[in-house]
Amino acid sequence: MIALAWTFARKDLTLYLRDRTALALSILLPLFLAGIFGAAMGSFGGKNTIGKVRILVEDLDGTPRSKELVQLLTATEGLRVQVETDVRKRVANGKAPAALVVPSGYGADLDAGRGMRLKLYRDPAQEIEQQIIAGNLLPVLFRAGGSKLSRDVVKRGMSELGLSVDAIPGFDAAFDSTWELMQGLAETAQSNGGSVEATGSTTAAKEDASADPDFLTRLPNFLGLEVEDVAGGEDQDNRRAGKSHAVSGIGVMMLLFGLVAAGGSILEERAQGTLTRLLLTPASSASVLLGKFLFTFLSGMLQLVILFAFGTLVFDVPVWRDPLAVLVVSASVCAAATSLGLFLAVSCNSRKQLEGLSTLIILVMSALGGSWFPLAITPEWYRTLGHFTLNAWAMDAYQGLFWYQKGLGGVWLEVLVLLAIAGTMAALAARGWHRRFATNA
Amino acid sequence: MSAPADSTAGLAIEVRGLVRSFGDRRAVDGLDLEVRRGESLGLLGPNGAGKTTTIRILSTLARPTAGHVRVLGLDPEREPAELRRRIGVVPQELALYDDLTARENLAFFARAHGLDGARRTERVDWALELARLADRASDRVNSFSGGMKRRLNLVVALLHEPELVFLDEPTVGIDPQSRNHVFEMVERLVAGGTTIVYTTHQLGEVERLCARIVVLDRGRKLAEGALRDLQRLASDRRTHALRLDAGSDAEVARALLAERGIAARVEEEFPSLEEVFLGLTGRALRDDEG
Repeated sequence: MIALAWTFARKDLTLYLRDRTALALSILLPLFLAGIFGAAMGSFGGKNTIGKVRILVEDLDGTPRSKELVQLLTATEGLRVQVETDVRKRVANGKAPAALVVPSGYGADLDAGRGMRLKLYRDPAQEIEQQIIAGNLLPVLFRAGGSKLSRDVVKRGMSELGLSVDAIPGFDAAFDSTWELMQGLAETAQSNGGSVEATGSTTAAKEDASADPDFLTRLPNFLGLEVEDVAGGEDQDNRRAGKSHAVSGIGVMMLLFGLVAAGGSILEERAQGTLTRLLLTPASSASVLLGKFLFTFLSGMLQLVILFAFGTLVFDVPVWRDPLAVLVVSASVCAAATSLGLFLAVSCNSRKQLEGLSTLIILVMSALGGSWFPLAITPEWYRTLGHFTLNAWAMDAYQGLFWYQKGLGGVWLEVLVLLAIAGTMAALAARGWHRRFATNA
Repeated sequence: MSAPADSTAGLAIEVRGLVRSFGDRRAVDGLDLEVRRGESLGLLGPNGAGKTTTIRILSTLARPTAGHVRVLGLDPEREPAELRRRIGVVPQELALYDDLTARENLAFFARAHGLDGARRTERVDWALELARLADRASDRVNSFSGGMKRRLNLVVALLHEPELVFLDEPTVGIDPQSRNHVFEMVERLVAGGTTIVYTTHQLGEVERLCARIVVLDRGRKLAEGALRDLQRLASDRRTHALRLDAGSDAEVARALLAERGIAARVEEEFPSLEEVFLGLTGRALRDDEG
């Protein structure tokens, strides 16, 4: 019996080894995906490469004091400082996780011992970035203010409460000692959460955040930092950002699977002979391909409508806030995905080959394009690479509508790119169709 | 069957020096072929003879590498849409949508051929009657027997009343009753003046259905003519049979011939297995048992 069982197993092994698609899916795909995940989490090649978190700075003061602050920020390990204007709008539109505004009079206030007045705008959806920013920003503010300033601010604050600290013997010495302690704490926070310590440190930062969920909004008041969340509409519930990401991310990935399968009906029809029969009718072969496009496109739109209805009912994702914008974006996404599906279908010789190839391509595109996790947590190079996929542009467009509450005008670039992808893929699909499927070949 | 005035007479198919190459291999190698209007031609040949490639070229599905081709007076390469309106092709595979009903399949292909409204309904009903599927018109094709599918596969190609029909092994894998019905359908077409090109490995089918036969091998025409013409090509292997009326004594007949110096032997002749089978099971279609 064992010998016979081994004969059967050997036969299956031979068939498996001859099936290139199965081999690719079972061996290469897991390796490739593991590589992508590793790279996304910043540990590719064993290096800590998650990258610096971008923070916008708008210096309305322009004094040596404010320039010194910007220099201190630029020198941190975890932040990539970009000096910009109109930063609030950029954060509200999801262009950056946070922005620091240095108001006019900042330097004068410091010189006069009046303390800081700074404004920090945040996108609460980018939760991990906020922790990294906090870990890097607070030590900078401590340094910029100096111990004397901080001591004066505390004294003034306590005076307003009716407590005269000048009467307390040894207050200055105690404060200086506390100052040193806080600087030490800030440096520890920087090394734990603010630096670029790849996956483990990111997780640690997140755990710190759960212990002290808004570390950044309480402590900074002491230094004169006002924090305002500007993205996410009225409730600014960052859990909704996660839900809207999940709905649109899974939606785009499943849409791709569905549309490739629908496009594969070309191969199915060829195998069963009905395609030949269609090509024997007076209808042009282009109309047969267009029919496939329409069917695939409409099935994709239906799939998205059902998914978004689910997202609205179950997760309260504000899908229908701007129906026209959602319709235009969805039509663009469906057109791009449909064209890709048809291109893959006409590039393959059999349904089996298509299933293998499309699974590989869609999973890789989904991982790179942010369907599984927000691209915001990945290194810069990963985000750039991700935007060579239609997933990334689709995700940007949907997040723009659902979380950042932009209108159609706010996602026109994403729509244009998706339509360009659709046009390019459709042209390639038509070329493949006429070469390999259409009549008179 | 309507046809333009300039192509109503003469040849339905005219092929001169047809070549179709796939790399170094020639699937069709200098073929000459003529089929008259209303004629039923049998295209015989082993696998790889070039039958299917020839039909693909004649029916606009493939381009010739070289040669002159005219079908119903049209160039298949330059006038494919016009030609497709006037020809029908019955493919060897069952080219049907399994999850559609018989009527839905017919209506879809009728629409694809440009039939609309009452005309489409009329032709679909006609096809269902011809295939003897009217009572199963609303059933999905995936519930049909092999014979029912074959008959439906055939009538789909006739919806638009083609002047010329190519049939590529239309009886593969079906029971004798359905095969017999397919023969009857083809005979009706021939009687109605439709030109038929019929390919098969079953020589008996060609004998029954085709007035003229072309034998192909390796892309070339080996022989051509009516059945008797082809049989004369093997006249050295000809024998004669003397048939006796029922009740006659065969041994007495053989002795009488021997007295006249004619050598003969007595052999019993039985009906073919198909005749026995049809005699036992009848000729009625067995669709319900599919």
